[in-house]
Amino acid sequence: MKAPVFVFILLHLVATALCKVKSDTIDENIVNAKVERKIDISSHLVKTSTSITLENKGSSSVRSFLFSPEPSMQKSISYIGASSKDDKEKLDVSPTSVAGKSDQVFYRVTLRSPLAGGKSTVVEVEAVFSHVLRPYPSEIAQAEKQLVVLDSNLFFYSPYSTASQTTTVVTANSNVESYTKTKPVSQSDTSIIYGPFENKPPFSEATLKVHEENNSPFLTVTSMERVVEVSHWGNIAVEEHIDMSHTGASLKGSFSRFDYQRQQDGLASIRSFKTALPASARDVYYRDEIGNISTSHMREMDESVEVELRPRFPLFGGWKTRYYLGYNVPSYEYLFSKDDHFALKMRFIDHVYDDMVVDKMQLRIILPEGVKNIELKIPFDVERQGDQVHYTYLDTLGRPVVVLNKNNLVEQHIQDFELHYTFQRLLLLQEPLLVVGAFYLLFLAVIIYVRLDFAITKDEAKESRMRVAGLIDEVQSTHDRRSALYQSYDDAINKFKASKDAAAFSASRKKIDADYKQLTQQIQNLQAQLKTEGSEASEKVAELQRLDTQYKEQVAMAIMAAEKLVAGKMGRQQYLDSESATSSKCDDTYKKMESLRAAL
Amino acid sequence: MSRLEQLNDPLLIIFHFLWRLLIEATLLRTGSRAAISMRKTQGTWGLQWLLRMSPDKQDTLLKMAILSVAAILSFSTRLFSVLRFESVIHEFDPYFNYRTTRFLAEEGFYSFHNWFDDRAWYPLGRIIGGTIYPGLMVTSAFFFHVLNHFHLTIDVRNVCVFLAPLFSSFTTIVTFYFTRELKDASAGLVAAAMLSIVPGYISRSVAGSYDNEGIAIFCMLLTYTLWIKAVKTGSIFWGCLCALAYFYMVSSWGGYVFLINLIPLHVLMLMFTGRFSHRIYVAYSTVYCLGTILSMQISFVGFQPVQSSEHMAALGVFGLCQIHAFVDYLRSKMSNEHFNILFRSLVLLVGSIAFGAAAVATALGKIAPWTGRFYSLLDPSYAKNNIPIIASVSEHQPTTWSSFYFDLQLLMFLFPVGLYYCFTKLTDANIFIIMYGVTSIYFAGVMVRLMLVLAPVMCVLGGIGMSAVLTTYMKNLDNPLKKEKKSVKKLESNYPLKNEIASCVIILMTAFLLFYTYHCTWVTSEAYSSPSIVLSARGGDGSRIIFDDFREAYYWLRHNTPEDAKVMSWWDYGYQITAMANRTILVDNNTWNNTHISRVGQAMASPEEKAYEIMRELDVGYVLVIFGGLTGYSSDDINKFLWMVRIGGSTDRGSHIKEWDYYTPQGEFRVDKEGSPTLLNCLMYKMCYYRFGSVYTEGGKPTGYDRVRNTEIGNKDFELDVLEEAYTTEH
Repeated sequence: MKAPVFVFILLHLVATALCKVKSDTIDENIVNAKVERKIDISSHLVKTSTSITLENKGSSSVRSFLFSPEPSMQKSISYIGASSKDDKEKLDVSPTSVAGKSDQVFYRVTLRSPLAGGKSTVVEVEAVFSHVLRPYPSEIAQAEKQLVVLDSNLFFYSPYSTASQTTTVVTANSNVESYTKTKPVSQSDTSIIYGPFENKPPFSEATLKVHEENNSPFLTVTSMERVVEVSHWGNIAVEEHIDMSHTGASLKGSFSRFDYQRQQDGLASIRSFKTALPASARDVYYRDEIGNISTSHMREMDESVEVELRPRFPLFGGWKTRYYLGYNVPSYEYLFSKDDHFALKMRFIDHVYDDMVVDKMQLRIILPEGVKNIELKIPFDVERQGDQVHYTYLDTLGRPVVVLNKNNLVEQHIQDFELHYTFQRLLLLQEPLLVVGAFYLLFLAVIIYVRLDFAITKDEAKESRMRVAGLIDEVQSTHDRRSALYQSYDDAINKFKASKDAAAFSASRKKIDADYKQLTQQIQNLQAQLKTEGSEASEKVAELQRLDTQYKEQVAMAIMAAEKLVAGKMGRQQYLDSESATSSKCDDTYKKMESLRAAL
Repeated sequence: MSRLEQLNDPLLIIFHFLWRLLIEATLLRTGSRAAISMRKTQGTWGLQWLLRMSPDKQDTLLKMAILSVAAILSFSTRLFSVLRFESVIHEFDPYFNYRTTRFLAEEGFYSFHNWFDDRAWYPLGRIIGGTIYPGLMVTSAFFFHVLNHFHLTIDVRNVCVFLAPLFSSFTTIVTFYFTRELKDASAGLVAAAMLSIVPGYISRSVAGSYDNEGIAIFCMLLTYTLWIKAVKTGSIFWGCLCALAYFYMVSSWGGYVFLINLIPLHVLMLMFTGRFSHRIYVAYSTVYCLGTILSMQISFVGFQPVQSSEHMAALGVFGLCQIHAFVDYLRSKMSNEHFNILFRSLVLLVGSIAFGAAAVATALGKIAPWTGRFYSLLDPSYAKNNIPIIASVSEHQPTTWSSFYFDLQLLMFLFPVGLYYCFTKLTDANIFIIMYGVTSIYFAGVMVRLMLVLAPVMCVLGGIGMSAVLTTYMKNLDNPLKKEKKSVKKLESNYPLKNEIASCVIILMTAFLLFYTYHCTWVTSEAYSSPSIVLSARGGDGSRIIFDDFREAYYWLRHNTPEDAKVMSWWDYGYQITAMANRTILVDNNTWNNTHISRVGQAMASPEEKAYEIMRELDVGYVLVIFGGLTGYSSDDINKFLWMVRIGGSTDRGSHIKEWDYYTPQGEFRVDKEGSPTLLNCLMYKMCYYRFGSVYTEGGKPTGYDRVRNTEIGNKDFELDVLEEAYTTEH
């Protein structure tokens, strides 16, 4: 399985390489009129910035020119970028090759406007090299300082001839052990200036060696895996797995905690470093394979969240460590949408520490389930591995994972990539519905199990009990309805007393009577059924019926009294007396009935 | 971190709230019959809805509610350490279990079974598959695979961390069924609620304490429940289930020996009390035969169930069962006289044959001699005198009275109450719980560790007692609805102040239960929720300082030593080094090879040149020692040193190491100037105090002041000749 994929990737790589690297020729007409070069070796990186004044001696205009890093450093180039001096605009830089110079690396810098014959322009080229500074001596004791050597080219390495050039080397501090003394040279504080040198032919070389003290952290991320998990519920989770090691001079002899703690030596060691996370980062965690690393501090600032990370142990030369750093960011800052089209715009790599070097990096973007038509836009070349599938909570088909690899990255690579894809919004509901469905099925199963009888044998007594319980429930509900009718009687009487409308009263009475009869009959039937079941509740129901008859009698009396009152056959005082008598009796019976009903 | 701190207090409140709910619900249930007739008086909506249901449904609902609250409570109360620190494995043994579980989850059962671990016991190695109880690992690997099958991506570590709390929820539920079989449902509920927070059990089952005991208690109670069920019904079905539960128990903990002795004891006791019946015959025969065959499938147990003396009681009772049944059969067929003659001769014959067979088997070595750990159960002083390695473990020490109260509190007083109620209504099942209670209280007195076995039975008996008291007095309370029926009251006028006494008792019991809750929560949060791998202390300004030095050291080893480096350390740290640093070690917490440990002890106790020879012999690359004199961490290697000396001197090759050489003439163990020169020049001393002589640890004290032993060290300026300081952690 793996081999075909590998072959495929290889083919893919070759194909892209063939497409990208078009062959160029060296244009004899271009001359570097003036070159000012600055080599910064104050950190563990070598940063060169070169200001080139290009002159077109020919007659035809020139669209682009070639830039070549010096041979000794060609393999360690991490980043190259160019801009024109006048308007600070970025220029397009792409790798290329030159016929007859196949062992050399060339970059073609495309100018913004063609350079006409006889004209000149100024271009700034910036390049960053990693792992160029060599610790010398390569092993130091804990208390010693770290010394490093730079081996470089004294002259500007160019396919064109150079008329005039100067080179400035910026060192970490003024402690420079030795440096190449090719005249003219001058040293002041932290810089060594060579030149000007006049009229050098193309590809001219001479040794430049600087041996300086450099205690800046020689920290290298040997491999990094960045996982971005996008959730359309509003969150993007980022986790970085980082393997790092101290690539400076390795520690010679023993490590003494006592000296380290008391005398604060170990200048070249790394105690802690700072990582800047996006300002909206929440729930930051810092852990490794064996748990949480408790030595970190977090500071929220306006533009970013700064995390001070302290590895479990200080890193001396040659020591390694590994950790994960993870956080959440809200998706509205990075995810843009139009209908079903979405665009994720995030950093390819984020800040790990100042002047960082990442040897190997893999970015895995986990997209929601059901995402289609994935398209990637990225400002620099990366190798895109075949998409993978990731399964996590409640996934059925799996989430597509975009895997991107790139080697040798530095701070300049902190740039945004864009990932376009389509996603149906309704799919967002799939997982909640899945959960709801699962619970629904569970409850359904329980209901079926509880309600249905799966026993092979029949339990008569139990069934009878259940039937009785059902009947009693029915009696209770019927009785409740009947009790409600008592209230209707009262209401009817009151209404009658107020309106004195005999016809309406008798009509409503009839209606209630009918209902009442029906309910009473129903209870009677139920009682009969209970009796056949042999339940003692039947007697209670009979008692209930008896009480009900009493109650009904009182109601009838109340009706009669009301009719008499309306007809004027009864005095007001007399009526009130009889009413209070009946109502107290009613209440009494009602209470008895209720307690009986409850005791069923 | 500060956010987690804040969480703590709400957590406590939630616990108390849950618990109060639990008590109220329990009280409500006990009095639910009375409550049903209170319809009109309590007019709140919630209760109306509840009371409208039929009593059966109410009963089920209340039971379910109380049980689930108890189960949730027992899970959540164990999460203190996860919330305070992180989701991390605690202690020493759990790290080994974690490592093996990871192996099992990744490599599958068969390669786990055949796993030869070359990371431990260098150069001997260890056959992991055949020397552990795999139940725990198989359980968590099972959970891991099931969850991941449904794409619930949870990693092995989290499964391991949360397994013990999960199983204590299960235990809570099983306790309910167990107690219900013994008495009734309300006693079951009280017992379940008590078990959910009993500190004696929590101490071994907090989140992260991933040890055999975590699931073994569940298995044990499950086996008991099924055993009671089998005894009650006399059905083979329940007997088989019980045997299966017993198999699970055997696969998960060495403590199964307690179980296989308790069940025969129960049967024996039933025989003595004349309660032996066909039911018990069927139950025990099934359980013993099936259980023994099943337990022999565990490769670590092997043929022990038929060979070692610990299992002989079970076998003997099994034989006795057959004889008893046979005798019963004969008795039913013969006249009394004939039977008596036969009985006597049979007893004599069988007795002498059995005795002779046992003697011969012991002489031939077929029955393994009693292992040391078991001896120390019967005779607390046995281990101390004979096997230093057993005595050196703190959890094998006898229990103190205070720790009984600390771990059980109220249950200590409810235990006799429960026993009383059991004796008043003696049944087959009750005899079992009485036997269990009495034996386990003895064992818990012998070894701190066995407090764990005692805690459940305490809860069961406590639950029975509490529930019986409450039901008795609940009935005596005046029912608000029955007030009209004055006549009933008159009849009982020979019991003055009935209502008042009942209320007093109930209020008192409620108060006891509340105090029990507070105590348990406090104990859990203070004593049992720190993951020993991370230490924390309060700084001068009240902020929390975390000492994470163990992991600092292990992580350094993991990343900055060669893959095949051999690390020498005292055996306590063995499991952690293999799990966290992933390096080869000489000895670990398994302690199966006394001579090897002794060799390491000798190296630690010897002067440098001698130690160098031993270390070359053992091919040691790194030596790890833990020293707490700088911060005042008292369980460091200097305090364990005497054990190293004793164990080192306990074998032939280490006979030159005498414990007395390390004491002062007065017989004291001192590290200052008075200390014995042997001590002041041995490897351990030199490694711990290397360059310590120039460190100021406390204001107003001279340099090299040891904060654990509160002395200035005796030997200050020395150099290590054969070793080199590779790495030292911060504290």
